[in-house]
Amino acid sequence: MTPQRKSLAKRLVGTNTLWIALVLLLLIAVFGALRPDAVLTVFTLQTTLVETSVLLVLAVGMTFVIITSGIDLSVGSVLVFSGVTSAMTMNSLNGGDATNAGWGVVVVGLLVALASGAAWGLLNGLLIAKAKIPPLIVTLGSFGAALGAGQLISNGSNVSGVPNVLSNNLGTGTTFGVPNLVILAAVVTALGALLLGTTRFGRHTYAIGSNEEAARRVGIGVTRHLMAVYLLAGVLAGLAGFMAMAYFRVASVTGHDTDNLNAIAGVVLGGTSLFGGAGSIVGTIFGVFIPAVLRKGFVIVGVNVYWQPIAVAIVLVAAVWFDQSRRKARDRS
Amino acid sequence: MSKRTVRTLGLAAAALLLTACGSSGQIGDSGSTSTAKKMVLIPGVAAEPFYISMECGFREAAKSAGYEVDVQAPAKFDAPLQTPIVTGVLANKPAAVLIAPTDDKALAGPMKQLKDAGIKVVEVDTKLQDTSIASATISSNNEQGGEKAAETLAKLVGDKPGSVLVLNTKAGTSTTDARAKGFETAIKKYPNLKYLGQQYTDNEPDQAASKVTATLSANPDLIGVFATNLNTGEGAATGLRNAGKTGAVNLVGFDASPKQVQDLQAGVVQALIAQDPATIGKLGVERAVAAIEGKEVKRDTETDLVAITKADASANEKYFYKQAC
Amino acid sequence: MQAAEGGGVVRERGVAVADPLLDARDLVKHYGGVEALRGASFTAYAGEVVSLIGDNGAGKSTLVKCLSGVERPDSGTVAFDGRPVELDSPVAARALGIETVFQDLAVAPDLDPAANLFLGRELRKPGVLGWLGVLDKKEMRRRAIGSFDDLGVTLQSIDVPIGSLSGGQRQSVAVARSVVWASKLVFMDEPTAALGVVQRERVLDVIRRVRDQGMAVVLISHNMPEVLAVSDRVEVLRLGKRVARFRAADTTVEELVGAMTGALSQEDAG
Repeated sequence: MTPQRKSLAKRLVGTNTLWIALVLLLLIAVFGALRPDAVLTVFTLQTTLVETSVLLVLAVGMTFVIITSGIDLSVGSVLVFSGVTSAMTMNSLNGGDATNAGWGVVVVGLLVALASGAAWGLLNGLLIAKAKIPPLIVTLGSFGAALGAGQLISNGSNVSGVPNVLSNNLGTGTTFGVPNLVILAAVVTALGALLLGTTRFGRHTYAIGSNEEAARRVGIGVTRHLMAVYLLAGVLAGLAGFMAMAYFRVASVTGHDTDNLNAIAGVVLGGTSLFGGAGSIVGTIFGVFIPAVLRKGFVIVGVNVYWQPIAVAIVLVAAVWFDQSRRKARDRS
Repeated sequence: MSKRTVRTLGLAAAALLLTACGSSGQIGDSGSTSTAKKMVLIPGVAAEPFYISMECGFREAAKSAGYEVDVQAPAKFDAPLQTPIVTGVLANKPAAVLIAPTDDKALAGPMKQLKDAGIKVVEVDTKLQDTSIASATISSNNEQGGEKAAETLAKLVGDKPGSVLVLNTKAGTSTTDARAKGFETAIKKYPNLKYLGQQYTDNEPDQAASKVTATLSANPDLIGVFATNLNTGEGAATGLRNAGKTGAVNLVGFDASPKQVQDLQAGVVQALIAQDPATIGKLGVERAVAAIEGKEVKRDTETDLVAITKADASANEKYFYKQAC
Repeated sequence: MQAAEGGGVVRERGVAVADPLLDARDLVKHYGGVEALRGASFTAYAGEVVSLIGDNGAGKSTLVKCLSGVERPDSGTVAFDGRPVELDSPVAARALGIETVFQDLAVAPDLDPAANLFLGRELRKPGVLGWLGVLDKKEMRRRAIGSFDDLGVTLQSIDVPIGSLSGGQRQSVAVARSVVWASKLVFMDEPTAALGVVQRERVLDVIRRVRDQGMAVVLISHNMPEVLAVSDRVEVLRLGKRVARFRAADTTVEELVGAMTGALSQEDAG
């Protein structure tokens, strides 16, 4: 008997992504019904997208890491470190204040941010894949070390002097009404989705997370691959640092303590298993937007401020619980 | 659990029990009182312009009073990081310690050890709930700062009607709560301004930005925002910039670090409420000296705050916080 | 699929006539203080099914791991196709045309059957896309369905992660993967352990067909009737050493059990 493919519709219903997308749509519908004048506007859409862009880029890298059944707690600190090194490099290239610097300086700043992220990613990867130290411990270490290093070189204060050409174009600029920051995040996300979903690199990422020993026995270079995955997460954290700097017009050393947890929450909410082997970038997109929409919606409809974190928590846990019980039901059948 | 682990745990538990039964004293007991002519400042966090300015006032006043000085700051505004610094300073036996406790309860224990060792303790900026430990407390009148923010905002707005929002940090932060409270009381005097209440931001700039734009969606007549500290101010400025509302919505920030002053001059922020950290440091030294010399000590002092707008910025330059003395 | 060729048919073929395809001699393997292999030898010829039997702890799985590149023996020699070889990784073994069905299957439970069949050997699209690493999922799926058909593996669905399939179906996929890629020799460590009667017959049938294509199949099993039904030869391992060799047609279950338990011995040093 030749095994049959299920129809596309049937396969879609079977995915977690569809359900999590429905949760997101439901939230938007509820908030929209409560305050249609304020929620369903271009302004709200634009600002929500912009405000989620940086986190989305972090979450794309985190998706790869979690699918290998790893974790990366260091992303927020690497973001801070990359922003600080990038801003300070740009300042020193332009006589101490890069506010009026040109594109050349900005490009150097971008490269420095990416390289800084790559360096931490590579360090994480080496310790995890080669020295076989558990990722939780390694990245807990680099979480502290990268933040400390960032504070050390910036002397603990935020670094200003971010070039205006950078902030005005990437930070707040738009193209055909779409914020440039959102376009960049969308491109990164799309590339991430293609890499994970259609390439051998992506397939091996799933295989390692699903059964590392099996992957090793079929000849996949597990050590190398894991290093590449943490490197990718580091580079994306570096890019996120650059984006955050353009957006806030300052390289901030505070206020990124919970970026790692927000990214992990988005990824897990999007249906990626913490046990590895399963997940998708598309799911991560929805997962990242659910908390963002909730926070925004609660402010707009005027939910009591003390209720907001409780309500966000309830929705997050409920969404994951719902998804898990649905998956269990499927696996039993 | 392996047998070895069990054994190790057992030994450790026995050791703990022995220590607990063996003596009735406390860590840091010494018996002797301090005599060195030395004073230590323990700020809430390292390298923040507010505390650096306080350190400048402290160093100057302590030196002129003939004291050797030392400054030991935690890397983060965090009680677990500050506690070992306090106990470490204890070993050096200075005559007095000026400290900004990072938690109003958690630091009570370590600070009581200082007091029990005969070291005079003066609280600067923040304070403990337990008022029996410190000899004196010098702090900004945060509530007055909030009132000043409301008054300044009303002045900037004139008699235009509109809504105003307060961005607070985390629920339960006493300083920013006092600022928000002062603002709330004072803003009622202006009937043209509708107070929307406060939003918490977890002290994260991105949350502050998001809450400002969300408020703009819900209340397009938003005319003023009071950001109760540096991070909320930064986030609010970003949110307004994204919404294209920089300048149209009056933003009042708190504190006057170099970046904030720069934003004030660039028109991103319309007013700043500055504290006077140098005076806090200086008065702290005066109270400490009085306590050491056994003179009468004024228990609580609240220093004034000042509102700075772009127009009177140059006249108030001495209130700008410093990156270095 | 093809009808099973009547259980118990044992053919006389190729035994000890040609040169051996695989000739392992005096393999020693320690795990800490435990000596899993104490100078074990093993021989397999092209075009035969040879069963490797022994009691629990006799060293069967260790021997298979050493001969498929997963573990490296501490000492001993392995010759393949008449040449000495160094089996220092699964990749090296596979390059020689050796595939293995491990007892723990070594499949990725979250991936679908086609992805598992092609794991580590993914097909890429032609041209630039392939250079970028883009997979040709359609072609892999098509070929996988073809291979499963050929081998008589029935799956309710080709789209589900194989972790949600039955144990038997998972095992069928693992068997299929090794058979599809092998060109010279297949090790099968308990390939029928989780199977029902019908599926077991199918796997045994697959084994015969692979043998008929001229490959060597090494079967590790506890099931003596099964061993006698499908094997051409049987080699017996006891306490990390080869202790006996039989032609399946000439032996009985009693004889095999005797060799396994030590009641009967042919070789002193195998």
